[in-house]
Amino acid sequence: MTHRYLLYITIVVSMAFTAQESARAQLRYENSLSLSAGAYAASGFGTNHFVGVRYNYFFLGGRYFVEGSLGFGSLRSRVLENVAKSQVFSSERLYAYEFVFAYDAFPSGFLPFFAFGVAGLNQGGESTFAGVLGLGKRIPLAGFLGTNQLGVRYDIRDQIFSQRINDSDPYIAHNLVFTFGLQFYF
Amino acid sequence: MSVLCLLSTQLHAQEVPQEPVVQAPPKNLIDLNEGVSFEIAPHTGLMGSSGTFGLKLSMNYSAFTLELAGEQVIGRTANLYPISVNALLNLSTRGQLIPYGTVGGGLLLTVPTNTIGDQTVSTLGVNFGGGARYYITKTFGFRVEGKQYVTSVSNDRESKNELLFFQEISVGVTFMLH
Repeated sequence: MTHRYLLYITIVVSMAFTAQESARAQLRYENSLSLSAGAYAASGFGTNHFVGVRYNYFFLGGRYFVEGSLGFGSLRSRVLENVAKSQVFSSERLYAYEFVFAYDAFPSGFLPFFAFGVAGLNQGGESTFAGVLGLGKRIPLAGFLGTNQLGVRYDIRDQIFSQRINDSDPYIAHNLVFTFGLQFYF
Repeated sequence: MSVLCLLSTQLHAQEVPQEPVVQAPPKNLIDLNEGVSFEIAPHTGLMGSSGTFGLKLSMNYSAFTLELAGEQVIGRTANLYPISVNALLNLSTRGQLIPYGTVGGGLLLTVPTNTIGDQTVSTLGVNFGGGARYYITKTFGFRVEGKQYVTSVSNDRESKNELLFFQEISVGVTFMLH
C-alpha cells in the first residue's frame, strides 16, 4: 500500500514539473481534442460511468478558451431498481452536450481554470437546458512519446437545472461530472 | 523530504510571473472584400423562456453572407428545431466589429418529447433580425444576435390559422475559414 502511495506522489510531482516546461510550448497551439472518462453523479439517481469528447479553442495566449463537448452516461439507480422497483424515465440513457467559456489565469501554474456555460441534457429521452459551472486543469506532458502535443486534464462540472419528475413541483438539481482525460493539441 | 524539496522548488519557481505574449491585432483584422470565406458558428441562447443550441454555416462574399442555420429549442413538453436559410447584409466589411442585418426562412419542426401519440408538426416560417460579430483573431470571434420568428399554425378546433411570434437572443463564437 505504501508503495502505491509513493508511486502516486511520484507521478503527481513528475507531472507538475513537466507542466512548467512544456506549458509555454503548448501556448502556440490553438486547438485541442480530449477523450475523457469518469463519473457522473445524477441528482437523485446515483453515480455512473461517463465518457466524453471535448474540443477546445484557445486564444489570447492560452488564458481563455471555449469548449464544446459531448458525453454519454447512464441514469441507472440501484435504489430505484432494487428497493422502489420503479423507473422514472423511459430509458436509462443519458447524454449531455456542453458549451463553455473558460479562464485559465495560470496555464503553467498549479491553480485550475474556471469555466461557465450551458448544457443540454437528455435524460431518458427528455431534454433539459442547464447552466454549467466548473473548474479543471490542463497538465501538459513534455516530450511524452516524443511530442509536446499531448497532455492530461481533469474536469469537475456542476450542471444546474430545474428538474421535474412525474408532475412533481420543480426543484433545482445539481448533476456533478468528474472526468480525467487525455488531451491532444494541434 | 526530497518530495517536499521538489515541491518547494516548484512553488518558488511559480512566483515569477510568466506573461504570455499577446500581440495587438492589426487594424483590418478581417476584410470580407478579399474573397469568399466560410464560417462555422456554434451558439446558445434563449427563445422565450426556453434554452437553445445551434450551429450556423456561412459563406461570406463582401457585404453579403449566405447562411444555413439549425437549432434545438429545448421545451418542457416538446423540442423545436428551426432549420433556415438566411441572407445577411454586413454593415461593415473591414475591421474587428462587423454588425449585420438578417432575413430568412425555413422549417420549424416541433417534436414532442414526453407525450405519447403526438407526432412531429412541421410549419413554414420566416425570421428577421440583426447582430454583430467581433473578431479576436483572423479566424476566431464572438457573435451576438437577436431575431424574430414568425410562423403560421392551423388551429383544427376553430378551423383557422394562427400567427405565432417567437423572439430569440443568442450568443456564440465563430470560426472563420479563409
